Amino acid sequence: MLVIKNLKASINNRDILNGLNLKINPGEVHAIMGPNGSGKSTLANVLSGKNGYKISGELKYQGENLNDIPVEKRAQKGIFLAFQYPLEIPGVNTNNFLKTSLNTIKKAKGEKEIDTIAFLKLVKEKAKELGIDEKILSRQLNVGFSGGEKKKNEILQMKILDPSLIILDETDSGLDIDALKIIADGVNSSRSKDKSFLVITHYQRLLDYIKPDHVHVLSEGKIVKSGSSELALELEKKGYKKIN
Amino acid sequence: MIDNFTISNKEIEKINFINQDDKEFRIKNLEFFNQNGFPSKRDEDWKFSDFREILSKNFKNISINNTYPDEKNFRLINDFDHNFILLINGRFIRSDFKFEEKKKIKIKEIESDKISRDKSENPLVCLNNALFNNGFILEIEKNYKLEKVLIIYNLFSDDLSDHILNNRNRVILNENSQLHTIEYTINKSKNKFINNSYENVLLKENSILKNISIQASKSDGYFYKFSNNKLKSDSQYVNFILSSGLKFNKQDIKVDLEGKNSECNIKSALFLDNGDHQEIKTRVNHLVPDCKSFQKIKSVLESNSKGIYQGKIYVKDIAQKTNAYQLSKALLINDNAEFNSKPELEIYADDVKCSHGSTSGNVDENSVHYLMTRGLTKQEALLLLINGFLNEITSEIKSDTIKKFVEKKLEFQINGY
Repeated sequence: MLVIKNLKASINNRDILNGLNLKINPGEVHAIMGPNGSGKSTLANVLSGKNGYKISGELKYQGENLNDIPVEKRAQKGIFLAFQYPLEIPGVNTNNFLKTSLNTIKKAKGEKEIDTIAFLKLVKEKAKELGIDEKILSRQLNVGFSGGEKKKNEILQMKILDPSLIILDETDSGLDIDALKIIADGVNSSRSKDKSFLVITHYQRLLDYIKPDHVHVLSEGKIVKSGSSELALELEKKGYKKIN
Repeated sequence: MIDNFTISNKEIEKINFINQDDKEFRIKNLEFFNQNGFPSKRDEDWKFSDFREILSKNFKNISINNTYPDEKNFRLINDFDHNFILLINGRFIRSDFKFEEKKKIKIKEIESDKISRDKSENPLVCLNNALFNNGFILEIEKNYKLEKVLIIYNLFSDDLSDHILNNRNRVILNENSQLHTIEYTINKSKNKFINNSYENVLLKENSILKNISIQASKSDGYFYKFSNNKLKSDSQYVNFILSSGLKFNKQDIKVDLEGKNSECNIKSALFLDNGDHQEIKTRVNHLVPDCKSFQKIKSVLESNSKGIYQGKIYVKDIAQKTNAYQLSKALLINDNAEFNSKPELEIYADDVKCSHGSTSGNVDENSVHYLMTRGLTKQEALLLLINGFLNEITSEIKSDTIKKFVEKKLEFQINGY
């Protein structure tokens, strides 16, 4: 699904990723943990195709070189980033945006566009699964949403757009335990043999609910240790310093 | 030519409805205009819109318009039921109030306008005082609320090259009456022309006027409109300015809150395309206690366009418990765009709530990125953000059919670039 070899990324002449290697197979869930400033969010940004980074190394998604593929094309090919801080977009209706987005992706895949009635049915069903109050979907995108509502809205988008590679950037931050469970359920019910997840988090807590197949420790822009889900527990006990 | 442009008194002779007294007033006003010429940046009210220079660059000759062709091809909007007034080159042609009780509505062609003989030092108002020869007077009887919206079709014909039009309309809402209007400007002219209009509005006790002004399409028009509004107690004035698409457009709005509990709301969503110049100037005078006024101006600016908002709130010493708020937000799509904002508060009462805010900035790159990670191209993301920015204003329009119509028009303007 995703192969990263010797990935380096810098911004404003500051090196952030310093030769990162990672391989994610279809159906796998990988967790990346690491302290503040280790490069976790940069990795998420670089995978999404965000401008402003100077990049070298190999980045392959489904066998295709990603380096020259722009943001929207990556999304159309099935890469989805759930943002740590979802942006508030005033004046843009959430449902309209979601429908536009879904149809853009469907069109790119050569599929038939969805009509309003079918779309509303789909949204209703997915929103119910996530315990999202339908009313917020007729409001402006993320405007005035609570922290929990914003994160749930990201997972709702993931469910509707049906991507293949899902990157969750600190989706657990700022969530209470109930919201965390709902989001974890949302992710777990989406797991399948042809979807892969990259779960970026500070804390082991999320991994109690989303069981990863592999855990990696990121430090100073490199993966310094990889292991099974046990590694997360070890980190929780000993802290990042000991691992280094 | 434009620098020393003057108009002969003979033009006044051509107007057919004037008496001696009226004539003297007009001559005085024309003298003032001839002495001062078109306003330039030396005039504080025009410091961001040097009208004289703009005209000099774009016009070689200017002549007074006297053509009023019959528009046989004129078609009504069929999106919703409405009453209408048809103006061609400012002249009142006909009206239709088929949805209303006829005796509750008085409409006629404007004649000499004694009521609005304000002494003015604004050269364009003086020019209008001197030469206005067209327009309508509309009066709504007390206790009458119109069933349907009134569209004022403001049509400009295709033979207005280098003409200046001076027209004047007057609207009177008697006690407890209600009127919703859409001022819909249709420009057929493919050439440059100037429209200098004056509007006089009187809202008596407990009456409500809501207006939307919008353009049907882009045009080479150079528009100035002075709007003089007087509000008696418990009356309400709401004005949505959505008139993008002119080469030059200055809306100069004065609102006198003369009666307690009167309220004024001015909202604007403008999209300025390449080379457009638009200014909104508001002056709201709180003259008695317990009145409210709000202005919210949102502008999106494309390359080489210039937008201006000058807003003044004046609160007289006796106008206690005033609640006034003013906000201007500009979104600059291109580095060559320019937006100027001049908020002013002049307050002489001590128990008031009065504030203003002004921001201008570029499109937020992170927002664009967020939308692109959901599959939208940069252009699509930008359009969504621009629409969203302006929709905040249009979403306040209560009627769904009218809102849909207006948003469609606005989108059409935006997508054109």
